[in-house]
Amino acid sequence: RVSSDGRPPKFQPPPKPVIIDRKTQKEERRFLSPEFIPPRGRTDPLKYYIERKDMIQRRKVFNIPEFYVGHILAVTTADPYASDKSKRFVGICIQRGGKGLGATFVLRNVIEDQGVEICYELYSPRIQAIEVLKLEKRLDENLMYLRDALPEYSTFDVNMKPVPRMDHEEIPVNKLQVRMKPKPWSKRWERPKYNIKGIKFELSEHKMKAAQKWSQPWLEFDMLREYDTSKIEEKIRKELSEELEK
Amino acid sequence: MMPIWTKSGEKHAVTLLKVQDCHVLRYVSKEESGGKTAKLLVGGKNVSPFSKPESAHEIFKEAGVPQKQKVTTFNVTDDAIIKPGTPLYAAHFRPGQFVDVTAKTVGKGFQGVVKRWGFKGQPASHGQTKTHRRPGAISTNKAAKVYRGKKMPGKMGNIYRTSFGLKVWRINTKHDIIYVNGSVPGHTNCLVKVRDSKLPTYKDCNKNPPFPTFFADGDEELPEDLFDEEIFQFTDPSVSFA
Repeated sequence: RVSSDGRPPKFQPPPKPVIIDRKTQKEERRFLSPEFIPPRGRTDPLKYYIERKDMIQRRKVFNIPEFYVGHILAVTTADPYASDKSKRFVGICIQRGGKGLGATFVLRNVIEDQGVEICYELYSPRIQAIEVLKLEKRLDENLMYLRDALPEYSTFDVNMKPVPRMDHEEIPVNKLQVRMKPKPWSKRWERPKYNIKGIKFELSEHKMKAAQKWSQPWLEFDMLREYDTSKIEEKIRKELSEELEK
Repeated sequence: MMPIWTKSGEKHAVTLLKVQDCHVLRYVSKEESGGKTAKLLVGGKNVSPFSKPESAHEIFKEAGVPQKQKVTTFNVTDDAIIKPGTPLYAAHFRPGQFVDVTAKTVGKGFQGVVKRWGFKGQPASHGQTKTHRRPGAISTNKAAKVYRGKKMPGKMGNIYRTSFGLKVWRINTKHDIIYVNGSVPGHTNCLVKVRDSKLPTYKDCNKNPPFPTFFADGDEELPEDLFDEEIFQFTDPSVSFA
């Protein structure tokens, strides 16, 4: 090409190709159930390895779906005293606790104006089926404040149909701000220790400021409290994927 | 500690005990020891010999076995004598057996009378002057002395204690692990002595145990996991009541 100056044109490199690797993107978001991650302590890792073998064995026979706090689940358990010998309970998962085989989750529902919470063990042989009815994450990992919220936020239809999941990629986060019953509450949820983002506090500014007195801003910089689980998680994920494919 | 479920859906808590490098060290005959039965010295967990004095090396050199951290005695009948130097495995026990477990309890240091002996102490208010967790009176007027063995503050824990009659639920032969019902004295990863139960209710409980012990180079080939009959195994489908 002929340029205006007579000098050769300035070299313009071709635009870099943008590679969208679909495979690596899919691998990034894989769910590891929190009860597989061993807590920090002086126990022999052999004990966790053996517990994991048992957990994997149970998962091969019985499907435990991926679920977070805030999902609405229906659990059928075997009961010798019921007429049908089985019981079905629908509720929102408030909390997931415990590590290893003793992992538990608490489901809450309001039935005939009475709040009911049932704590189930994930690996108990009495559980016959766990179905995820609605997938949605909430702003917090612990929804215990629903006990002090208005009952409409904890009522879920017992005969709810499972909501079909559209994307296999993202779990929607429900940014619902819950309205509370008048104080006193079971815990002082406005205090920074609980770090709750899912409540619409209708307290005066003066009270919110007074609650900040109990804040501990040095906690996030405390190095002894850091527990980096990324490497442990990777190892456990590899182990899990290998064993479940067998 | 781990949960374990039975076939009827009940949950029991279980402690895992690992049999780590146990060898028989010496045989002491009835006349030598002066007791009612013969004794076998058994050593646990391997440890480096350089931190022990030369006098402690003798027993292990005779048996041809590395230095052990702990040596215990077991009272044994004459037909159950084992040659020194044989390794002992977890398969020595079978599921359904009952077992006594001895260990040193967790040391709590110097403790007061309320924690150590369970005294009630005194009320928190209503005029108590500087007296809330004290023992109060230690003797009567007529005695004119304090009796020997009076419960007083002192060092608590770090003594040998036994839990009796614990059921063996499961045995892992690959990693040498015994699953024992309930809790066991001692902290995590402490050394523990496991022995057949001496309680009269469990006297005739052992049906065909490996006698005198389980030999690894023998003809018996055991599966990796031995379960008790009542345990719910995770290979089965979920429990349902008929």
